[in-house]
Amino acid sequence: MDTTPTDALISQLDRLAGEFAAAIAPLDDEQAMRATQAQFLGKKGQVSAVMKELGKLPLADRPRVGEAANRVKDAIAAAVDARLAALADARRAADLARKVDLTLPARPVATGHLHLLTQVRFELVDIFAELGFAVAEGPQIETDWHTFEALAIPKDHPARDMQDTFYVADEIVLRTHTSPVQIRTMQAHPPPIRIVAPGVVYRRDDDATHSPMFSQIEGLVVDRGIRFSDLKGVLTHFANRFFGGSGGLDVRFRPSYFPFVEPGVEVDFTCAFCRGKGCRLCKGTGWIEIGGAGMVDPDVFAAVGIDSEVYTGFAFGMGIERMAMLRHNVSDIKLYYEGDLRFLRQF
Amino acid sequence: MKALWSWLLELCDLPTMPTVEEGVRALTGGGLEIEGLTDLGGGFSGVVVAQVVAKRPHPDSTKLTLVDVITAKDGPATQVVCGAPNVPEPGRKVLWARPGATLPGGITLATKPVKGIDSPGMLCAEDELGLGDDHAGIVVLDADDPTALGAPAQRALGVDDWLLDVNVPANRGDCLGHEGLARELAALLGGRLVQHDVSADLVELASELRAADLVELAIDDAAACPRYVGRIVDGVTVGPSPRRFAQRLRAVGVRPISNLVDVTNYVLFELGQPLHAFDWHRLAAPPRIGVRRATAGERLTTLDGNDRALEPGDLVITDGSGPIALAGVMGGQATEVTAATSRILLESASFEARSIRRTARRLGLLSEASQRFERGVDPALADRAAARAAVLLARLGGGKIAVGLADHDRRPPARPPVPLRLARAQMLTGTALTTASCEDALARLGCTATADGDGRWLVSPPSARADLLREVDLIEDVLRVVGYGEVPATLPPLTAAPRPLTSTIADRARRALAAAGLTEAITFGFQAPARLEALGLPVDDRRAQPIAVRNPMSIDQAIMRTSLVPNLLAAIARNLSFGLPDVALFEVGSVFLRADGQPATGEPTALADEPTHAAIVLHGSRPRRFGAAEPWDAFDAKGFALALARALGAGDVAVAAAAAVPYLHPGVGAAITVGGVVVGHLGEVHPDVRARFGIDGPVYLAELDLGRFAEPGPVQMRPVPRFPASSRDVSLLLPEAVPAAEVEAVIAGAAEALLERVALAEEYRDAEKLGPDKKSQLWSITYRAPDRTLTDAEIERAHEGIVARLTAHLPAARR
Ligand SMILES: [Zn+2]
Repeated sequence: MDTTPTDALISQLDRLAGEFAAAIAPLDDEQAMRATQAQFLGKKGQVSAVMKELGKLPLADRPRVGEAANRVKDAIAAAVDARLAALADARRAADLARKVDLTLPARPVATGHLHLLTQVRFELVDIFAELGFAVAEGPQIETDWHTFEALAIPKDHPARDMQDTFYVADEIVLRTHTSPVQIRTMQAHPPPIRIVAPGVVYRRDDDATHSPMFSQIEGLVVDRGIRFSDLKGVLTHFANRFFGGSGGLDVRFRPSYFPFVEPGVEVDFTCAFCRGKGCRLCKGTGWIEIGGAGMVDPDVFAAVGIDSEVYTGFAFGMGIERMAMLRHNVSDIKLYYEGDLRFLRQF
Repeated sequence: MKALWSWLLELCDLPTMPTVEEGVRALTGGGLEIEGLTDLGGGFSGVVVAQVVAKRPHPDSTKLTLVDVITAKDGPATQVVCGAPNVPEPGRKVLWARPGATLPGGITLATKPVKGIDSPGMLCAEDELGLGDDHAGIVVLDADDPTALGAPAQRALGVDDWLLDVNVPANRGDCLGHEGLARELAALLGGRLVQHDVSADLVELASELRAADLVELAIDDAAACPRYVGRIVDGVTVGPSPRRFAQRLRAVGVRPISNLVDVTNYVLFELGQPLHAFDWHRLAAPPRIGVRRATAGERLTTLDGNDRALEPGDLVITDGSGPIALAGVMGGQATEVTAATSRILLESASFEARSIRRTARRLGLLSEASQRFERGVDPALADRAAARAAVLLARLGGGKIAVGLADHDRRPPARPPVPLRLARAQMLTGTALTTASCEDALARLGCTATADGDGRWLVSPPSARADLLREVDLIEDVLRVVGYGEVPATLPPLTAAPRPLTSTIADRARRALAAAGLTEAITFGFQAPARLEALGLPVDDRRAQPIAVRNPMSIDQAIMRTSLVPNLLAAIARNLSFGLPDVALFEVGSVFLRADGQPATGEPTALADEPTHAAIVLHGSRPRRFGAAEPWDAFDAKGFALALARALGAGDVAVAAAAAVPYLHPGVGAAITVGGVVVGHLGEVHPDVRARFGIDGPVYLAELDLGRFAEPGPVQMRPVPRFPASSRDVSLLLPEAVPAAEVEAVIAGAAEALLERVALAEEYRDAEKLGPDKKSQLWSITYRAPDRTLTDAEIERAHEGIVARLTAHLPAARR
């Protein structure tokens, strides 16, 4: 059967679809494919060239040729899409074929370390902040008056033996406790007062459990109606927040003597490690000694001009190193101050 | 204070006999911490009191004796072989370690032949029982020893007893004697104190002599010596003290010397009253006893044989001829008791605490006596102690007591009673105290309480309790007797919001530097002078004028630090010695500078300035995965410094060339400024300085004075850009000497409104292409308007303006 010119034109168009597919088969980037696509479909492209013959065909045949032309255009577009998809699949497959040995060392993210004593101090301050305590500070080189005299420890008082003092001049010392901050705070602020004063102190003492410099945290509350039992309550809250875990730790007061508090006590907490049953840490007693405390002595109030009939108050002091030692099992107080990275980086 | 349990029990009358554990618990609970508890007789067991009934020589040895002993009256005798030279005559008691007995050192006795004759155990010497060092012979009990046959040897030796090591608080001088401790024990356990009544003994032992005829007191200084009691004991014979008497002294740590000296120590430990015995015959005749301050140039040879120069503050005892003793500290050699002494002047006095303390400390003579006088001795004790000691002296020395006493009694008048209010006690303690519980506690403490209206008392404490002066002291003691366990736990009501009283800058600096990857060190506030000198600061630098510690424990802690740098450099060296090559540390802490107007050297007369500094040191390499090291450099130090300054909220932070810092490399150092004010320095530590710390390899440093930073207010938001930015580059050829900061300053000086950001994109040098001492820098400048997208024309105009300014103000060529 003879082919009509129309049929010939249609088959020519259909052939172009095949040719296009062959032309892009070796291509592997989209840009080249789009160029080939333009080459076939553009004004000077093969499809246009074929379509120039359209005018020679009978009117009745033209829709058929038009359909064929659209079919070719669609086929070319589909061929590009298919080819691109195949290429994308291949790239994805290649990408997924990658293997990385993640047991190789990490790229280090610099992680710094706050000193353990800083971390513990932050925590102490936070715990007391829950009860409304603000932080106060004072100088480390301090007057004899603020360190001793105002705290009812005159020059010849036997209590001065308890804390052998570094002197800078006759009336200037390295503070032996944070208690002078009590004095400075009471001088500067009328009651109510509710402060904690963490800081470094110095004593002439140097052995496995004593460092000539160490840090304390001092607490002071002065207001109308402050009771000895409030001291116990505040320290009980602290004990349970700092050591407690599940709570239930008790505070025990043992009478003791500090010239600037009356009554004065040594404070013990239930040993958090054996919950009071007795262990190595508490030397079998079930109690851990944590610091000294008491009600502010009327003589101290007199020294700072507070009327002890109107106001009462309590004060407490604890060693930060000791608390860190107890909770973090630090074996030697010297480790805190040697700048030894093997120690510092553990916390 | 060392105390014997048996001695305490002897001095109190308790409702039920407590065990030693109960006693320890009560005393500790009452504030007298028992730091040690020793079973004195715990070193041996199975040793019993036995009586010698016969003895004869060993057939085969001249040194050995065969001894027959019994452990029950009329009981069977056992033959024991004994090698001691002092086997007593039949009738005396000895200590027999029977087979099965254990001795110190883990020895267990059995029946063993000695030169052919079986010996069941042995007769013991003191040292074999771990008591004393006497190996001259076996223990022979005193002829009148009352211990029953067969009783444990501990009882006969006075070591069936416990030794308590009591930590006596500084305000409780009254507890430096068994009587004071017994008063506490009685109060805490609900009993009463028992005091020896010697009035009958004084009558029984009275001599023909009268004290008033034998000694005269002429004491003027009532403040230095409020009480002086002298008693005379005549006709005494010096000899050893009875075994159990001596054993008590040995147990509390005093070496027995002779009956006369031992009595003074015994009474000191019993009552807390120091005593001194003078040999009356060696005093001026007749002795006229005075107490006064020494005068300059006076000397005294004390008991220990030292010839001592006295100072005007020292209190001395005189006898009319001159000083015979250092009051309350040590007696004089010339008047001490000797083997020939027959008449004693017994001194029982109280002296001013402060003088005793000063003298004892100056001479390094911390005696049992001085330690008690320093804490204050109850003047009411003096005549009781003198009487008790006189009786003991007469009994032990076989003498008689002169009638009466010489008494200088200038005690201050009795203290007025102390008012106590129940309501105040309840309020202050927060504890449910009642009228009954308060009155009971006061009575137990030996206080006399008189009701003074409803819920009020007037309280007279016992004279021994010099610490009970105020209402609050009474409240404490009442609560002590009631028990601190009765105090409930309450919380104070929150009456005011806490006000910040201190800066948070230091802690914010710590958090920022740790977040940046550095590790915090805390080093001592003091340091070795050599470490400061290693910085090479000029003498007029404040930091070269440290405040010295007057009494450091070592040269390494002799001065207060004026910079954080030396201790951190030392920390690097220490880590290197541990084999850690990479060290990145920071410290935030106080440094101590002499206040303005203070002299540059010598002791300050004012407190120090204590600014808080932050310092960063870097040595070795940055953290890396593996492979080649990436050494820290000065730009790391700069990065940390800038990160810190920004974290502290400083807006206008810059790094600028600065005058040379002595401890930084002359070519690698710069100042850190905030708002144009220098707040610190950074750079490379001078190679000479780090070498002085033993550090091989560069150290990079940044240090900031945190006092220069203000507490920032809340950060205020700036609008987020809504229109795009555009960048333009300019490449400049510059002489080496032009710092990058200068280029930035010129650009900033253009005050171009559209300018958003300037960044150095590239820098390179090429002597051949660019010429020597030249560098090429590519700067990238970003432009943006807040309200529109910029047109090319606008950007070009702004950019060309800046480029023109650069070439006009700098020796720069556009490339
Ligand atoms: Zn425990």
